[in-house]
Amino acid sequence: MNEKDSDILSKVENYYQDYGLRARELKDQGQKVIAYLCSLVPVEIISAAGFLPFRIRGDVHEPITKGDTQLETIACPFMRSCFDVSLKRRYDFCEGLVLPHACDSITRTYSVWRYSLDLPYSHFINLPHTVRGPSMDFFKAELETFRKSLGRFAGKEISDGDLAESIDLHNENRNKARALYELRKSDPPLVSGTEIATILTVGMRLPVKEANNLFDEVLEKLKQRKEAPFKKAPRILIDGACVDNIDFFKLIEDSGANVVADSLCIGTRDYWPKTEVGGNPVDTLAHRYLDKINCPRTYREKVGETYQEDLESRFGDVGSLIKEFNVDGVILYLYKYCDPFGFEVPARKAYLDSLKMPVLYLEDEYSTGTIGRLRTRIQAFLEMIGS
Amino acid sequence: MAEEQKKEERKRRRHATEAAGKIGPMVKATIGGTVKAREEGKSIAYAFIVCSYDEIIRAMDIVPVWTENYAGICGAKRDATRFLERAESLNFSRSLCTYALCGLGFDQWREELGEMPPDAPWGGQAKPDFMLSSGQILCDPRNKWYQAVQQYMPDVPIYNVGLPWPLYEDDIDVADVEDYYIKYIVEELRGLIKFLERQTGRKMDWDRLSELVDLGERTWNLIWETYELRRAVPTPMGTGDAMNTMVPMVFMLGTQEGYDFFLELNKELKDKIARKEGVVKDEKYRLLWGGGLPSWFALTDFNYFNSKGAVFPVETTYRMIEPIYRLNIPDTNDPIERLAWRWIRYWTYWYDKARKRPGSEPDVERLIQYIEDYQIDGIVMHEAFSCRTWHLGLIWQLNQLKKIYKPIPVLRLGSNRQKKGEKRELPSLILESDIVDISSYSEVDTRNRIDAFIETLEQTKKNNR
Ligand code: SF4
Ligand code: SF4
Repeated sequence: MNEKDSDILSKVENYYQDYGLRARELKDQGQKVIAYLCSLVPVEIISAAGFLPFRIRGDVHEPITKGDTQLETIACPFMRSCFDVSLKRRYDFCEGLVLPHACDSITRTYSVWRYSLDLPYSHFINLPHTVRGPSMDFFKAELETFRKSLGRFAGKEISDGDLAESIDLHNENRNKARALYELRKSDPPLVSGTEIATILTVGMRLPVKEANNLFDEVLEKLKQRKEAPFKKAPRILIDGACVDNIDFFKLIEDSGANVVADSLCIGTRDYWPKTEVGGNPVDTLAHRYLDKINCPRTYREKVGETYQEDLESRFGDVGSLIKEFNVDGVILYLYKYCDPFGFEVPARKAYLDSLKMPVLYLEDEYSTGTIGRLRTRIQAFLEMIGS
Repeated sequence: MAEEQKKEERKRRRHATEAAGKIGPMVKATIGGTVKAREEGKSIAYAFIVCSYDEIIRAMDIVPVWTENYAGICGAKRDATRFLERAESLNFSRSLCTYALCGLGFDQWREELGEMPPDAPWGGQAKPDFMLSSGQILCDPRNKWYQAVQQYMPDVPIYNVGLPWPLYEDDIDVADVEDYYIKYIVEELRGLIKFLERQTGRKMDWDRLSELVDLGERTWNLIWETYELRRAVPTPMGTGDAMNTMVPMVFMLGTQEGYDFFLELNKELKDKIARKEGVVKDEKYRLLWGGGLPSWFALTDFNYFNSKGAVFPVETTYRMIEPIYRLNIPDTNDPIERLAWRWIRYWTYWYDKARKRPGSEPDVERLIQYIEDYQIDGIVMHEAFSCRTWHLGLIWQLNQLKKIYKPIPVLRLGSNRQKKGEKRELPSLILESDIVDISSYSEVDTRNRIDAFIETLEQTKKNNR
């Protein structure tokens, strides 16, 4: 954070460093906390039940030790780190766990999570893989099952009214996040990628109303910045999956670039799509989580006559971001063993090539040590763009 | 490919059963057959095993090209590296499923050349007319692999069949949710049939489909009965052979040939049992292959176990059947509904049992059942680095097994000549390598670990005596 922007921004920084801080305080006041992983868990339902949805985060600074005694190392290192720190009781204020059918690394470890953490509540949400009519009907039924199951744990029925209210609050949160992104459009941007990543990460573990207030305060503070505190530099978009730490953003920005946009899970993939209001809330939630969130784990049927049209339909959202944020280059950043994303690297690259976008593809583990080793390649890439 | 590797490949694995020995040539003929089928203009589909559509494609005379199988063959022939490397050069991470990587490398090469890559194992993998993906609750590659191939053959369409099943939960019974699962799967399979009708220009023959579903169900029962014969001491067939007999199980379901194969195997096993003829002469240790796909390039490791007097009467891998009569499938004449019920009931088969034992879980419950039924002395698993589907949770299963299932109780005479119950230890071993990628394998290390494991088994036996 910039030194001048004290108070609210240092509060954010504080929350980021001590990730469970607020949840722990709230738990002491009687608030029940439900942990979850991934952008595919409908947090609206958790909030509507009166729980605090708490997105589990890994820790790139913490070597994975305990987790490896219970889980094979051939899984996505982000998930392994989340599991490791959970096992080390970092999030022991949580009373429940919800995992979605996201990728093999998450799905195939549900039992291990469930038994190892031994929480009073756990649930798995089974998202289908396609967005056709029958899949949508199936998913609605599956969300109803979740609603009932969580309701039983909460000791109350989660009504349509509760859901509608929760949907509004979470939509509001997404609007505010989007407003934050607006500050990145100027050149140089008014807010750095590292700052945005910090704020968004923090937002995902606060009660939604609190997160909304926090975002408001942050927005107000940042809008006071008359002059960009950063230099003009290549404008980078990070494309990838579950990046929940600022270290990678920092590395890029320290190497002489501005991260101005992303298509990441703690970023536009999750914050851009909103739930439709009005209508049956479960239907609109199903639509948001299955169709609107553009994650490679959800299969999109090929559209159009040419392969290029198919690429447009699958990755067009990244193309729009590139235009909207005036991006100079893309860093495609993935974790080893990430199956859903790993299978589409060539396709993503082909799409970006068709836009004549310089792309750097990096495969990484999930630790500060390995992140640091990427520096030279990033610098070379930035030089290439700059020249 | 290194010369020694070629020589290595020529060393045939010894089989305990004659039936298993016939599989190699059978697979070779099938793969050759698909290339020929393409020339003859038959409809060819890329397909995955265990996707519930076997009888459907057979009833429509569609020739399946099992892409996992071809990659396995390349692995077994120790000729996969060039395809893996090619996939890597296309920017696919080497950490992904090596069946998929091998297939992607092969397909891209074939499409680039307009003909089979040079010296393609067994004549190569034929280009399909369409591809049948599947979105289940496991295996991302089933959902993503063919979409990735489309980059190299964009004119080949895909149908992705949704085939989920409910995971095991504390507060939810399968009965609470199975209706919407069944409804969904039925709709998905009907959608598949429409797709196939459009692609082939032929109509589904529903009577034939019913007959084939019947045949498929009879085959499941027959396989189960046949595999149960392996409970005999000494066991007449081990996991090494089962890695061959999986071919008629999962690649030939819904064909008479597949059924007949198991009839023959059944007879052969009964004859062996009557003659007391086991996999090894002096059976010392009975092991459970408790998880993991095998290293196709190192199946001789099973013979190595045998050389130490260790046999595998049972495995969880590629035992993709349960006796139909135990699945309580509701009465229905609709073959699609039967397929859907078979699917759901298969995947949730162990749930009720697990519920009865606190802290248990279906996969663990299955291990326990096999340990008891097959008089098991130890468990071996294989962790293949590239496939999360079958290889995540193995360590945990073993831990959980130790926790909830106090090692097999045996009775023995105490010093005061009183009978007393004792807990017998159950040693376990997890081997680490891959299904296809031979660079992950060291024969020396593997065999050292097997040796150490055998010593542990011996020690445990002594302690238990
Ligand atoms: S990074 Fe990939 S493999 Fe890991 S949790 Fe996210 S989607 Fe799954
Ligand atoms: S089950 Fe494993 S080996 Fe088979 S296709 Fe899926 S990931 Fe690959």
